[in-house]
Amino acid sequence: MDSAMKIQRPKRPTVHKGPSLGVVMALLLCVVSAIPAAAQDWFRTGTGLGVAKARVAVADFAPRTPASQTFAALFSDVVRNDLDFSGILELVSRSFYPLQVPTLPAELNGAVWTEPPASAQFLAFGNLTAEGNDLAIQAWFQDVRNPAAPPVVGRVYRGVVSEPEVRKFAHQFADEIVARLSGGISGIASTKIAFVSGRSGNKEVWVMDYDGANQRQLTSLRSIALTPRWSPDGSRIAFTCYPTSGAQLSAQICMHSILTERLVTWPRFRGTNSAPSWSPDGAKIMFMSSMYGNPELFTADADGSHVQRITHSVGASTSPSWNPKTGQQVAFVSDRGGLPQLYTMDAQGGDVLKLPLPDMGYVIDPAWSPNGQLLAFSWRRPSGNYDLYLMEMASHQLVELTRDAGRNERPSWAPDGRHIVFESTRTGTRQIWSMLADGSNARPLTTDGQNESPNWSSVAVQ
Amino acid sequence: MAAVRIAVNAESLKGPLAWSLMAHAILIASLAVSTLLSHRGESWGGAGSGSVSVTLVGGLPGVPLPRPETVTTSRVVDESKGLYTSQPVPKPPPPPPDAREIPAFTKDRPQRIVSRPSKVLENDAVPPPNAVPYGRGGAPNVPYAEFSLGADGATTAGMGFGGPGGGGDFGNRFSWYVDAVRSRVSSNWLQSTVDPSVRFAPRAVVTFDILRNGSITNVQILRSSGNASVDNSAMRAILGSHPVQALPNEYSGNRVSVEFWFDFKR
Repeated sequence: MDSAMKIQRPKRPTVHKGPSLGVVMALLLCVVSAIPAAAQDWFRTGTGLGVAKARVAVADFAPRTPASQTFAALFSDVVRNDLDFSGILELVSRSFYPLQVPTLPAELNGAVWTEPPASAQFLAFGNLTAEGNDLAIQAWFQDVRNPAAPPVVGRVYRGVVSEPEVRKFAHQFADEIVARLSGGISGIASTKIAFVSGRSGNKEVWVMDYDGANQRQLTSLRSIALTPRWSPDGSRIAFTCYPTSGAQLSAQICMHSILTERLVTWPRFRGTNSAPSWSPDGAKIMFMSSMYGNPELFTADADGSHVQRITHSVGASTSPSWNPKTGQQVAFVSDRGGLPQLYTMDAQGGDVLKLPLPDMGYVIDPAWSPNGQLLAFSWRRPSGNYDLYLMEMASHQLVELTRDAGRNERPSWAPDGRHIVFESTRTGTRQIWSMLADGSNARPLTTDGQNESPNWSSVAVQ
Repeated sequence: MAAVRIAVNAESLKGPLAWSLMAHAILIASLAVSTLLSHRGESWGGAGSGSVSVTLVGGLPGVPLPRPETVTTSRVVDESKGLYTSQPVPKPPPPPPDAREIPAFTKDRPQRIVSRPSKVLENDAVPPPNAVPYGRGGAPNVPYAEFSLGADGATTAGMGFGGPGGGGDFGNRFSWYVDAVRSRVSSNWLQSTVDPSVRFAPRAVVTFDILRNGSITNVQILRSSGNASVDNSAMRAILGSHPVQALPNEYSGNRVSVEFWFDFKR
């Protein structure tokens, strides 16, 4: 009880709804009455060539009790990793930090941090208390050039003492910082990645944090699972499974519920059924099925009813990907022209267009960026390997993302549109990697066994 | 007798000569036709035979990452300054002339003393092997977006660019918010939405209001750039950023007006 009081006391400075708000209001009233012309706040800014990334330092969070030492270090490390990988800011190297780090806003000496060598514009700092089973983290994010201003982020996190909990809070804190600094696009540190791993003997669907931590097995069907796809609300994962019907294996669509941790019944169809893809509103699933002989694309409601045929063509059509922005356009792969190539159509199957690529070769795995402007895909050009490319849909301009680094396939976008997760054989085995959407900052997420077919959840998942 | 025999021989060559001429003509014609036919296809490097135009990642439109300040473009002339001055290549000494004229005899004159300016000591240090030659490195010398900092290092948003002005102290108190709006809008400003023939446009200024919850209203063009496609792309950048981050909790007002300028240059 006594400790809890102790924990709560330092929290007070962050709360700005008490008397300080009144003071601010009174001051504002004075200002407003004194200068009527300045009643409307405004600012002026603009853009030309580029934007400098903000320099951010993350001080070591101070442990308040001996038991909280490791958790404080973990919290600082996770926040640092998240910010470093966010792509929108520049992290100050730790060796440039001053020796004295603040643990409370009152201890912050802004000048030490703004001066070289740190030259930071923002500082994340705070403290962590782990006592018994109670965890309390106070975290601030302050503009150190402007220490008198209210903090950009000020938060208190409370929970139970455990590593996943500390990670979760660190991700939330980092997400909040990223959202504030990027003007409203939330961070992705709380999102998860589903993937297929064969490390347990069979190919099963696994799930992990966006940074590769907390890997755990979701399904145990003891057959083959492929192409997991998160539903837009993050509550379900649709994937291709091979349930035994009688003696023969046939590919079917399976549905795993994250909430109940088990399979949801989904109807089975004749032939091969694979490559499910959710519509952005989560109401429909488009998938490939050979129920009428030729592999074509079909849609069904999320529960598997109202099956409707979408494509009618000579060749096979597969790997659909809905435009997440509009929900009106679908990119897919078809070999109707000979080799597998990219096509787009509207969601009802009309208006089929072949995307112009300068030379032939296999084009597979289209993935539409969250803002609907870019299409990522893997492409085996006649001269080479499978590599990831981006196409800007408006101008059909191409950007090469990977080169000379093993096979790189199956891109999937993070909901912020800044990150891409993909599978790569650049280390010799097939593993999951993620990178920034401009091809930089690639880092491995898995190391055990063979892992493939990653899919990034479009919302934060518990 | 001999002359007759020669004449007979000449007569007998006529037939084979004609045949050989015809055969050669056919051969040349077939060669010409075959070379014409065999190069009917696409020329090397043309679209459709293994070449692809893939651009640098420099400024990737559509990805909401901050566009790098220094976008590397291949410039024919790079006027930026490197660290080391490039040494002029020493000229080979002229070959000694084979012969000299005998100098004409002239009267001895008093020698003129020529005072030369003192020599500047050159830096004879050998540049390291990874030295960037003069004018071949460093940041490209292109005009960047101007963004001045105030006395306290905070952005002078809410103030005029020259000095203090009206507008409340929102920009001073929440300079991070100003930066956030700027980076959000600029990441949504797509160059591909501007007419490709436009290389440069004068500054366009757009005003809008940000409400408490971050929604953008009242978007208006305050000053047109004079080019409709640039104005439209600026408007799209603003509208595409809706909604931005909600106004800071510590801010008591309900709305903030923003004057946002766009400098377009390809």
